[in-house]
Amino acid sequence: MPREFQRGHKARISDLTAGTDLYVGVQISAPGLTFDISCFGLDADERLSDDRYFIFFNQPKSPEESVQLLGAQAGDTESFRVTLDRIPAQIRKLSFTATVDGAGQMSQIGSGYLRVVAGGEEVARYAFDGSEFTTERAVMLGDFYLKDVWRFAAVGQGFDGGLDALLKNFGGEVLEEEAPAPQQPQAPQTGGAPGFAPPVFGAPSGPAAPAPAPTQAPPQPAPGHTPPPAPSPSVHAAPTIVAPLTPPGGTVPPPAPAPAPYGQQPPYGQAPGHAPAPPPGYGQPPHAPAPPPGYGQPPAPPGYGQVPGQAASYGAVPQGAPQAAGVTAALSAFKETPTGQRWTLQNSKLIRADLGTDGRPVLARQGSMVLYQGKVDFGYKGAGFAGRIVGNATGQEMQLMRCTGHGQVFFAESATHLHPVELQGDAICVSAENVLAFDESLQYEVRRIEGHGIPGGALFTMQFQGTGTIVVKTHGTPVVLPVTPTTFVDSNAVVAWSAAAQVIVSSQVRMRRNAYPGHTGEGVNLQFRAAPGNFVVVQPYEV
Amino acid sequence: MNQPLAGYAPAPVTARMEKHGSHMLKVAMQTGSDLLARVGSMVAYEGFVQYEPNPPAVRQIARDWITGEGAPLMKCSGDGLLYLADYGANVVVINLNGDAISVNATNLLAFDAHLTWGVERVKGLAKFAGQGLWNTRISGQGWIALTSRGEPIVVDCGGGEDETYVDPDALVAWSPNLKVKGKRSFKAQSLIGRGSGEAYQMAFSGQGIVVVQPSEDSTDRLRVRG
Repeated sequence: MPREFQRGHKARISDLTAGTDLYVGVQISAPGLTFDISCFGLDADERLSDDRYFIFFNQPKSPEESVQLLGAQAGDTESFRVTLDRIPAQIRKLSFTATVDGAGQMSQIGSGYLRVVAGGEEVARYAFDGSEFTTERAVMLGDFYLKDVWRFAAVGQGFDGGLDALLKNFGGEVLEEEAPAPQQPQAPQTGGAPGFAPPVFGAPSGPAAPAPAPTQAPPQPAPGHTPPPAPSPSVHAAPTIVAPLTPPGGTVPPPAPAPAPYGQQPPYGQAPGHAPAPPPGYGQPPHAPAPPPGYGQPPAPPGYGQVPGQAASYGAVPQGAPQAAGVTAALSAFKETPTGQRWTLQNSKLIRADLGTDGRPVLARQGSMVLYQGKVDFGYKGAGFAGRIVGNATGQEMQLMRCTGHGQVFFAESATHLHPVELQGDAICVSAENVLAFDESLQYEVRRIEGHGIPGGALFTMQFQGTGTIVVKTHGTPVVLPVTPTTFVDSNAVVAWSAAAQVIVSSQVRMRRNAYPGHTGEGVNLQFRAAPGNFVVVQPYEV
Repeated sequence: MNQPLAGYAPAPVTARMEKHGSHMLKVAMQTGSDLLARVGSMVAYEGFVQYEPNPPAVRQIARDWITGEGAPLMKCSGDGLLYLADYGANVVVINLNGDAISVNATNLLAFDAHLTWGVERVKGLAKFAGQGLWNTRISGQGWIALTSRGEPIVVDCGGGEDETYVDPDALVAWSPNLKVKGKRSFKAQSLIGRGSGEAYQMAFSGQGIVVVQPSEDSTDRLRVRG
């Protein structure tokens, strides 16, 4: 679970994460407004003495690339990669700011957050909304600052001028810093907390606590109910995108480009370990020192058949490759993620369960183990007599195995996307075929959804509750919908929902459908009704 | 008209093998350095590239027949750009640079023809028919491209004090200097339909890496099609 910061809270980075390679995501949802989100690298006097450390849309990285602008991704309006141990000594503070582009003021924003992700896991989140501001046109959201060690502070301080004034301010005079709030003695992370990949799947909150509900939704759903257009963040970020690392849609934006030592989950299309500038997006004009002949470039050399000189340039090319040579270097992008937690997402399709921490067994779908290290025993887990009867009757049957012992087990199945969901006394409903693995400490039972028009008379689902983690698998990237008064879901595509949501079957019965052949095929839908904060997970795949 | 598609134009060539996106391999072909690729993996090419069905190494062909590990290969030669893909599998590009790697034939997409390669028998896996008994070992100075169903993971065997056990269906590649043996986690229970679904694993020990894909679907799509 990320640590929730309030305005003025401060913490040492080392208390949040052991890593120094951080991903900072800023999301601001404000219909009709666009924001420039930038990062100022300030010296000991809190001045921008070196303007190469003003990281914004026109200057997407600092000279040694310790701070990089990554563009909109993973639900964030803007994101940065900060490598703390590469920041030069004269830079003492990184200030993340958002300024309104064009007309508007900060009080118009709906909600927003600044979050810090390390090693694929969100470690800190500072959420704010428009009620904290008035007519300001800029806001300093948060700082990384060096005071003995690197620390993070949630600032949330408004500023009247726009980006220019802010820049002038940093160049001209020292800003008063807020009185340091007492360090919040918040409980450190529990060891068993799973690694939530930030983008796909937020921590399912308890039905009561709406705040850390699906990440896709605004972090703090407004009381009452969330207007549907609110969670559409990245649209407004359009002007600030600068040469995204990935071509549009060509590669899936990585969940967290803020890797720990090795760079787990690196952007896929990126050559591993390339320190120099990434090649420009496909279709963009190449760098000045473009490789000589370059097939596929307009001024193609006269004919491919030229053997000697022309072709020789290819032979020379691999030496200049951005990729380091050797098997280990080439594969270092896919290294295992080391964390001492019980459940760690290795990439979007592989999860590691560490049985060594407390020896509690894990139940997993049979055959889903792909690799293990240590002494792990795999045993059959029967459903019991009653379980088999119920399973046979409802189709909600899981072929499980029990993994006991000490060691690390990697689970995956058919390259489906995996999402660890941590339950803390709350409950989630998951269709049995979408369960990959879960802690044995969770209780589960078959729940029945009644309604007209369902083939077979009723729908069944598994309800999990208790304290522990369940790994849900989806075909493709799922969508997490906040439950609104009008949330309808295809019963074949629904994966999971928070158990507090009430499910109603809605059938579309129309005269036309009955009168003509060739109906829409979307006859029976599930409607969800619940208080705000509940969510439904839908996969792009109809079973 | 095709503005949304313009973003997918090929990037300038910077290396012998590169990924275009994460599922397609782009090879800069040149006369004199031929390429061996899986039969049927070509999706596009630019320039003058010729394909020969099988490199005339009779012994290897014969061995393919015997072992079943024969990845049908074609030899590509010429000048131009060659694009390869295997039914949407992720592509991993490795510049071997003198290293060696042992690859499951199903997961091999292409490699430089001048590399030393051969189908070899995995030691320590006696009497285990099926996957993993035979595999392709490649070494030398050059490039090789693997496929993986889903983003793979690389596990360092030297890291753990115990052996690393891998589901043979999910195995992609490993360092050839690792010791391999079979492990049967097969109990009498399994005979009465109460197995854990994990009947057989391969155990690796020593210093090296193991590459595993997040899928246990090891069917050879290129071969299934014929």
